[in-house]
Amino acid sequence: MNESHENLIVHNLGRRGFLQRAGLLGAGAALSESLLQPQEGAPQLELSNTGPDKIPHKPFGRTKEKVSIIGLGGYTLGSAPSLKEAIMIVHEAIDAGVNFFDNAREYHEGKSEEWMGEALKGRRDKVFLMTKVCTHGRDKKVALRQLEESLKRLQTDHLDLWQIHECVYDNDPERHFAKGGVIEALDEAKKAGKVRYVGFTGHKHPAIHLKMLSYDYPFDSVQMPLNPFDASYRSFQKHVLSEVNERGMAALGMKSLGGNGQPIIKGVATVEEALRYSMSLAVATTISGVDSLAVLRQNLAIARGFKPMTADEMEALQNRCASAAGDGHLELYKSTMKYDGEVGRVQHGLPSPKELPL
Amino acid sequence: MVDQNHGTGAIPQRPLGRTGVKVSALGLGGHHLGDLKTVDEAIWLVHEAVDAGITFFDNCWEYWNGRAEDWLGLALKGRRDTVFLMTKVCTHGRGADLAMTMLDESLRRLQTDHLDLWQIHGVCFDNEPELAYAKGGVIDALDKAKKQGKVRFVGFTGHKDPSIHLDMIRRGYPFDTVQMPLNCLDATFRSFETQVLPELNQRRIAALGMKPMGGMATAVKCGLVKAEEMLRYAMSLPVATTIAGMDSVDVLRQNLRVARGFTPMTTAEMQALRDRCAETAGDGRHEVYKLSLRFDNPQARWSHCIPLDATQKEVQEMLFKEAGGP
Repeated sequence: MNESHENLIVHNLGRRGFLQRAGLLGAGAALSESLLQPQEGAPQLELSNTGPDKIPHKPFGRTKEKVSIIGLGGYTLGSAPSLKEAIMIVHEAIDAGVNFFDNAREYHEGKSEEWMGEALKGRRDKVFLMTKVCTHGRDKKVALRQLEESLKRLQTDHLDLWQIHECVYDNDPERHFAKGGVIEALDEAKKAGKVRYVGFTGHKHPAIHLKMLSYDYPFDSVQMPLNPFDASYRSFQKHVLSEVNERGMAALGMKSLGGNGQPIIKGVATVEEALRYSMSLAVATTISGVDSLAVLRQNLAIARGFKPMTADEMEALQNRCASAAGDGHLELYKSTMKYDGEVGRVQHGLPSPKELPL
Repeated sequence: MVDQNHGTGAIPQRPLGRTGVKVSALGLGGHHLGDLKTVDEAIWLVHEAVDAGITFFDNCWEYWNGRAEDWLGLALKGRRDTVFLMTKVCTHGRGADLAMTMLDESLRRLQTDHLDLWQIHGVCFDNEPELAYAKGGVIDALDKAKKQGKVRFVGFTGHKDPSIHLDMIRRGYPFDTVQMPLNCLDATFRSFETQVLPELNQRRIAALGMKPMGGMATAVKCGLVKAEEMLRYAMSLPVATTIAGMDSVDVLRQNLRVARGFTPMTTAEMQALRDRCAETAGDGRHEVYKLSLRFDNPQARWSHCIPLDATQKEVQEMLFKEAGGP
């Protein structure tokens, strides 16, 4: 069956058929590789703002927006040694041509948003600003209250993008789409002009992302881990990426170095290989964690004058990483609870990271 | 499932798949046995279980760095022939030679010349089926051990994800048994009951249930379900046995009360229990072994390049031993 034929069937069957194809019905979110048909890689997205010293841009889904191929991660900004250094990181990134800025209401209990708000003073209009809402199953009132807090901390009257943070539990989609849930808050915030675009994020399992998409809500963006290791383990690249592109949504990549850089430290791939691979996929941007000027400069050097890897280069890198990546130890955000935040755990009745580190 | 001894007050004996052997519907877990305070308590517990009609005994090469096998070996002296003895091999992706070394250690500790059942322990990582079936993988050791007469039957275990179990089964090796978590919480979260159990029964492979309380019994502790309900649910499924961890004679006796003259739950009772658990069970909070690495043993972590958990008692004992402790 060719791909367009399969998609036609999927659309005609609607949600039920879509979930059946994904092997999700009546079976929790366990993903059977044999039930899931790997999707073909979508074509490269068009680069603009190119040139040897420039950070190229790519289209943000079906919108007219263009975003820089590398985005600045909000969590690690809050890990910078001081507010002063955080401000220097943000300013240098903007001056270099980075315009995509990531954050979340729960990062460092608000510090990441506060520092970014300080750093963006007078520069707000130069960036595409995103933050995330952290209801983890709670209702829209909680969501809208969090939005006001985020706007205040970020010192702005609107967000360019507001995403549902960390869809990582099998029953998160049901909770988000329940009556009075966070999805209604997305609608209201858009209507009130407080957010322009909406999306969701998660690092756990392609099946959970597909379940979120199965509700056919018009998300503008979907964020997921994308890197050369993902390709061989519970793969978002193989199972989610082209679905997102076919729906005209912007795919946002994260964890290009495997979350904590372990694959780099272990010598499985270099920073340049992993980051170039991630930026070569059909994503609008790759959100990169930067906690110092040194790391920022290293990443900017890779993004400047970026030329995508060829399909052969990408395949060769995937293959080289495959045997090490196959058990998930290079992607602990999928294989363990290490990256599941405290706030989400509380909402799901699970022990704290201290009690249950992995 | 109709039990032979139903209503007679004895623990029912059930067929073990297509092997022609029968085992007790309640089995004694080896991990908790090694966690008792003294060897005398362990021996006492085993003797009382044998006398009560439990024949299925679980163990594993890596439990408590060998102590669980040592203690069971001592307790079964003179009783070896009255039980169906299982232990597990802990290659976790490594090869057949290591497996054979582990087998000889297990036999020595258990003071026997053969096992009734030898299972591949903790198949919990996505690539382990591929590694097990590779040339020189642990599957080769299963064949070799059977040929040498050191083991009668073979199987595998795991607590992580039904898709990994299905991968192991569908690659086609003729396993005699497959062990997995089965309880009223599993029914609504990455469910072995709905995804794996029917496949096993269809292939006439004996299903062995474990974690009838969901591992840490958090659903019992928070008042959602009673321990007795959970055990009855697990034993009412189409399984050969339900392996339960028993860390005291009191717990053994409590379980024996359920197992003696066991009456299975009705379909309606089982559905009602699943429904009661569904909402909170749906995110996995009561089955942390599916979400976290907490229940993955040091050997598993080691062979998959994942740091050991220094807060685990087993790891602390291991490090102490390595450092020259008793």
